[in-house]
Amino acid sequence: MMYILEKKKVEQVLSAWNKAFDVYAPQKVENYTQFLPFEKTKTVALNHAHNTRYPPKALFFPQSEIMLKYNSRLGRFEESGSKTKPMLIFGVRPCDAMAFSLMDTVFLSEDYVDPYWKAKREDSIVIGFGCSTPPQTCFCTTVGGAPFSHTGLDAILTDLDKAFSVQVLTNKAENLFKNLPPATEDQINEVKKIQRKATESMAPAFQTSGLKQKLDLIFESPYWETIAESCLGCGICTYLCPTCFCFDIVDEIQRKERIRNWDTCMFRIYSQEASGHNPRPSNKERTRQRLMHKYSYWLDHIGEIGCTGCGRCVCYCPVGLDIRAMLQTASEYESEVARA
Amino acid sequence: MTELISKLRTEIEKLFSEDRIDVFIAFKGADSPLRPQPAFYRAGNDLENLEYNSLCQNNLGNYLTRYPNETRIGMVVRGCESRTVNALLVEKQHLRENLTLIGIPCQGIVDIRKLIKRTGEEITAYSEHQNKVTIKYQEKKHTFAKQDVLHDSCLRCLHPNPVNADFLIGEPLPEGDPSLVREKVETFEALSKDKRYEWFSQEAERCIRCYACREACPMCYCTECFVDHNQPRWTESSITSAGTHAWHIIRAFHQAGRCTSCGACERACPVDIKMTYLTDKLNEDILEIYSFEAGMDGETQPPFAAFNMDDKKRFVV
Repeated sequence: MMYILEKKKVEQVLSAWNKAFDVYAPQKVENYTQFLPFEKTKTVALNHAHNTRYPPKALFFPQSEIMLKYNSRLGRFEESGSKTKPMLIFGVRPCDAMAFSLMDTVFLSEDYVDPYWKAKREDSIVIGFGCSTPPQTCFCTTVGGAPFSHTGLDAILTDLDKAFSVQVLTNKAENLFKNLPPATEDQINEVKKIQRKATESMAPAFQTSGLKQKLDLIFESPYWETIAESCLGCGICTYLCPTCFCFDIVDEIQRKERIRNWDTCMFRIYSQEASGHNPRPSNKERTRQRLMHKYSYWLDHIGEIGCTGCGRCVCYCPVGLDIRAMLQTASEYESEVARA
Repeated sequence: MTELISKLRTEIEKLFSEDRIDVFIAFKGADSPLRPQPAFYRAGNDLENLEYNSLCQNNLGNYLTRYPNETRIGMVVRGCESRTVNALLVEKQHLRENLTLIGIPCQGIVDIRKLIKRTGEEITAYSEHQNKVTIKYQEKKHTFAKQDVLHDSCLRCLHPNPVNADFLIGEPLPEGDPSLVREKVETFEALSKDKRYEWFSQEAERCIRCYACREACPMCYCTECFVDHNQPRWTESSITSAGTHAWHIIRAFHQAGRCTSCGACERACPVDIKMTYLTDKLNEDILEIYSFEAGMDGETQPPFAAFNMDDKKRFVV
């Protein structure tokens, strides 16, 4: 079913939902947008072609999350409190929603269920916002996504200038939108046209067939040194990445808390062992790990690429490293080795 | 190719043909028109993609500490980069005789974010001519005065000319106006204590602990940064105010008398945190109290690293 949500009514609708849900939506911070509680500014910034800079994965997997608190009076650990309302996230780009589904395979696997992720994720509602004009740094179609992909979403919006069309994808979402006017035949056709045009506008960014095998083959090649040469070794690409999920657990003794913080394979300390040995001693091994994880190891684990093509790492790398070019060069590099 | 790039190219080719360097660090044109990348050329490499324009936003001095002292490095240096090289030489991070510095009087680095703010993120082409910058956004051309889109650090730059170049490409530029630096520092200082704290907190608490500021800074080259030290831990690694405040204060303090005001930290930050208001204030204090400016020569120790048996204060010796 497709409904029409007028743009001027968005804030009103979100305010109404805020009673039953913790509503999150992209909001303006400095020169970028970030998902924040709707009630913070009661405004929504969906007028940017670009995605939010900080990834919405942080809503289910906060950058710093208290796992346990220590009650020193009773001498025991206590759970860190629980949420009261389910979460409703409004305006998630399809690449980020796809990333939620990928992260589910990590935190809600058969072998291990992460209670922190599960508690926030299981009754959440994700309303997507499709990309009518995908930015040049995006490459979702190359890695199996699409600017209007439905994966991980309960409903998806399409921008119709003065209004959004809402395609409802699950029963959960049906209840939220059923009081809105339905889309007319013309509007439905317009939406189809916009979605088709957006998908067609995205050319393949690099060759993915056989890429994993090529990467595995060049694991020991000097190729990685050429990337590492300019890489600064900061955490931007991984912290802004919607699928990176590594964390580190620390005890903040003074505040009597056990906290789980994001961690990244790009940091030296990430792989530093207690003995002093570091199996990934330089940027070479660390950049290789980042690319191999997304384009080889994820495939080993779940048969899917662990990148959704959001392009944040491309946009914000301070030395202009572009994962698309790195992967393209890697596949060509392999061919040279194979010929030799 | 601009005249400057072709001159630069000739010089680099000459350095390699005379076997005076092992590696030349410069910039190359990249996949995105907005982000030229640091490039590392070696003998026999094609220099076709060599680039130099106002979007070259990194401080190449950053890469100096990655090489052993024996490596003969050639480098493009602008004003701040050349002072960075000096500051690193003072700290014995390379040997001057193993460096060949090609200086370019710098007209400032364009702040991509200022361009994006004026148009939008989808900038597809960039060109510059004299004092104008032209970009293509949504198939339309937009021209700006370079002055309006320069990075804040460059607007306040005091020494645009390289101070230690082996030779210069281009004519030296007039020195900057110290009152412009003062202006920024004054704005911050004029605030009440509470307001200053509020400003600082607002900036620091957006921090996502990616340490891009540290990695982009040539003077942050410690093998183990204090935030990575875990036995004992010095600071919280979470994004709490305690953790982010500690990081931003201590990072700035470690730069006292060492920072060359290049602004690379701010340009690298993914969440637009302002940081130079702290280092500029420290630079000002160091100049006022010790008459010292980082990187003006390759020998003078910064005040906090210097050690003098005749020191009037008996605090250290």
